[in-house]
Amino acid sequence: SKPLAGTADLDTLLGKNYGALRDIVINANPSHPPLSLLVLHCLLRKRFHVLSTVHVHSSVSNVPPHLLACFEEQDKNQSRHDFQLGFTLIWKDVPTPQMKFSIQNMCPIEGEGNIARFLFALLGQQQDPITATLVDSWIDMAIFQLGQGSSKEKVAVLRTINAALGRSPWLVGANRSLADIVTCCVVLQAAGPVAIPANVQKWMKSCENLPEFNGVYKLLQ
Amino acid sequence: MTLTLTVNSASPPLGALLTAEHVKSTVNVAIDQGKETSLKVADSVSFNDVNSIVRYLARLSPSHVLYGTNLLEQAEIDHWLEFSSRHLSGQLGSALQELNSALSLRTFLVGNSISLADFCVWSSLKVNSTWQKYFSEGQAPCHIKRWFSFLSNHEVFKSVGGKWTCASV
Repeated sequence: SKPLAGTADLDTLLGKNYGALRDIVINANPSHPPLSLLVLHCLLRKRFHVLSTVHVHSSVSNVPPHLLACFEEQDKNQSRHDFQLGFTLIWKDVPTPQMKFSIQNMCPIEGEGNIARFLFALLGQQQDPITATLVDSWIDMAIFQLGQGSSKEKVAVLRTINAALGRSPWLVGANRSLADIVTCCVVLQAAGPVAIPANVQKWMKSCENLPEFNGVYKLLQ
Repeated sequence: MTLTLTVNSASPPLGALLTAEHVKSTVNVAIDQGKETSLKVADSVSFNDVNSIVRYLARLSPSHVLYGTNLLEQAEIDHWLEFSSRHLSGQLGSALQELNSALSLRTFLVGNSISLADFCVWSSLKVNSTWQKYFSEGQAPCHIKRWFSFLSNHEVFKSVGGKWTCASV
């Protein structure tokens, strides 16, 4: 059989000798769904043939139906080797999302931001050092100060985001980047009682209009 | 091009200083003392946290391969950067066990050479008083102890560690 388009890219990105189907396994807590990872899953499916599955670990019970059905239906007649990537989401009682890859000597990757960085990198976009680092620093700010900070910290971060969005339509550069995906998902989940400033509201609307965000908004409804 | 890394000498960003020292053959970084840690990289862009500073320096100097040789190693390094800033300050709790088992079959934290992961995890331990106590009293978990001592004897770690931490101990 002829190789699928995109296979060579994954070989280059990941190194060659890792077996036919690369399996990404993500453990996540249903009380805090990792929205940004669902957006990235959607982007990966545009680029690769992804075999997506959802499981429930015995450590959690009563996972809501919309979380069990968070991946769209896919063709069940295809066999495993027709796919380039396996993406398995396991709802489990973990303090923070964890990712395991089908390689023994790799340590589990913890943290939604770190997993998001990895999944986005699979899409193979090149960035200059300043842009790449700016994206990383927004992700850290979103996850730690907005996601886990006090209300005072949240207000301060929202103010910083608002100021950045007053200068350009997206957080880094002229186009939507991983910084927008992760930050917007954290705002959606973490802002709570804190008021959302005007530029941030407008930018969230722009994110909402991106097709890869469809699944996330369905989950939040 | 010379970059200027401003460091708060009351709480020196060891990970950033180690990275700057390691890449000095390709990236010229001048060290300046100030109130806040920051690396100015363009007219309107500065990085103020250690993880961003080390990422930027590693990306500026790809020949030193401090950010892994492929995406999997890069993800592991991201994991350890977060681990060092979140789990290795103050009380160490179960973090030491996790680190010890990760190091059980490894010389370096990620891959087969030194990386940002080693710099940042070593730095967080170096300034942690709980770790200092374990280390000096011989209670440190064996694999971390071996790795920590091994790195501490490297030239880069000796010079940065000696210059920036003698006052705090």
